[in-house]
Amino acid sequence: MIIRELSKPRLLWDGLILVLIIISCVMVPYQFAFNQSNALSGFQIIYLIDLFFIADIFLNCRTTFRRHGVEVSDRPSCTSHYARRLMIVDILGSLPLDLIAWILVGNGQVLGGSLVLALRLLRLLRIVRLFVILRRWEAFSWSNPGALRVVKFLVSILLLMHWLACIWFFSAFASGFPADSWATRAGIAESGPVAQYIRSIYWTITTMTTVGYGDITPARSVEYVLSAIIMLMGASLYAFIIGSVASLLSSMQAAKNSHWERIDSVTEFLRQRHVPAALDAKVRNYYEYVWEHDRGMDKNAMLNDLPGPLRLEILLHLASNILKTVPLFKNCSPVLRDELLTSLESRTFTPGSSIANEGEMGRSIYFIVEGGVEIISTETQKSWGTLGEGDYFGFLSMVLGERRTATTRAIGFCDLLILDKENFNRIKAEFPEFNDVLKHASAERTEQISELVMEGIIL
Amino acid sequence: MEISVTESGDVRILSFQGNLDTNTSPQAESEINGLIDAGSQQLLINFEKLDYISSAGLRILLATAKKLKASQGDLKICCLNETVQEVFDISGFATILSVSKTEEDALGAF
Repeated sequence: MIIRELSKPRLLWDGLILVLIIISCVMVPYQFAFNQSNALSGFQIIYLIDLFFIADIFLNCRTTFRRHGVEVSDRPSCTSHYARRLMIVDILGSLPLDLIAWILVGNGQVLGGSLVLALRLLRLLRIVRLFVILRRWEAFSWSNPGALRVVKFLVSILLLMHWLACIWFFSAFASGFPADSWATRAGIAESGPVAQYIRSIYWTITTMTTVGYGDITPARSVEYVLSAIIMLMGASLYAFIIGSVASLLSSMQAAKNSHWERIDSVTEFLRQRHVPAALDAKVRNYYEYVWEHDRGMDKNAMLNDLPGPLRLEILLHLASNILKTVPLFKNCSPVLRDELLTSLESRTFTPGSSIANEGEMGRSIYFIVEGGVEIISTETQKSWGTLGEGDYFGFLSMVLGERRTATTRAIGFCDLLILDKENFNRIKAEFPEFNDVLKHASAERTEQISELVMEGIIL
Repeated sequence: MEISVTESGDVRILSFQGNLDTNTSPQAESEINGLIDAGSQQLLINFEKLDYISSAGLRILLATAKKLKASQGDLKICCLNETVQEVFDISGFATILSVSKTEEDALGAF
């Protein structure tokens, strides 16, 4: 059985493993530093969690991976890829070596603490897997990378603080709480593990955040060394936190910021050129629509940035609604549909703006995707009716080689797909079925078209 | 623009040659209206030798079809060249005007 790297079951399993890693990374150092007993309540939980990690090693051997962007799914390759990278770390972090040591040599001592609990610390190696999972989510499957970075950042900081609090307390515990140790002077040597933990984490946070009230201070060499290291880490971390939070916040709002920057510069330009307030409001209205509709993204520029096949896939997805509703696409073969999608240019027109002007030579066909269009005689302002979603216009003047005899105006915001004459002629030459497709597409509107032609209206 | 009129039973056949555009459409219109006014209810327009049709030409065809339909008559068109066929296809007129490939087919359809 092969498990796909980005399949839903694998991602759910990764989510479970992620939670178990965090539990392990909190419980194991806490047990080592604060509760030096094998008969503690979390004892069984640790071994139960081990079972999940051992299962994870087997699953990792069967999980696909990507090489040069291609998913490799044969089992020997998956296993050897995993074996060359993280298998050793995972085995060391998952096997109950502490249990084996306890059976073989009993509960010996190391650095003033239990050997069994010290070996249990190897489970902290699981933190490596945490970053592997987060990186996988970040790269392939997370819809909001900014939020994921915040989670990663917070988890890292909190775990680091927890570990430092454990080390800080263990410095006093390992030497048997001498009178000059910080724990004895703070009066917690005989307190319960919860009170001891609260004091330790409190000291770590005040030191790391450079607050340093001075109520808990080092007195022994080991404590000075630890304090110095934690202070150095705290200062660097402080700068890192401020920088990262600022960068995270700005990256989470990157699209909105760049949108506002664009509006500001356009507004500044219009003000400098003394453009009337009404026109200025129209421009703002347009940007508001673009933000609501496309989140400020220039769709054409974004699509042009992608390689052809990927652009087509995105277009097919974006246009899934249009493909169902616009008659043009309903009767197309898939090949012609793909050709049309990559040849059409998408444009948005603001309310009241002219799309195709009276007197112009027809050079494009316009397909209405969203919104409506009114047909108007420029001189008399007479309305000749409206066209709606799914309708298209502009072909008669183009095919007949005549000037348009009416103007088309967007009623509200109007999204159109535009096919220019060059592409029209090319597609027509390459796909003889195109005429039939247009014939079917216009069948429902023939009455309206013929009435317009009878009135001398050529669009 | 030359228009020749022949007969086949009750059907009057108009063969157009040249361009049917703004300049020539009044002539075509008066020729067609003359036949209708003289009592012809079944008209066949042969476009075999037509080179180009403009919107003015389309307008005449649509008006004639409408007029004949109202008086229980019939208009059929045949032998469209590629450009004219394209205009008919894209505009959808091919579905409201009866178009045949050959004159025989068109005559058989009356």
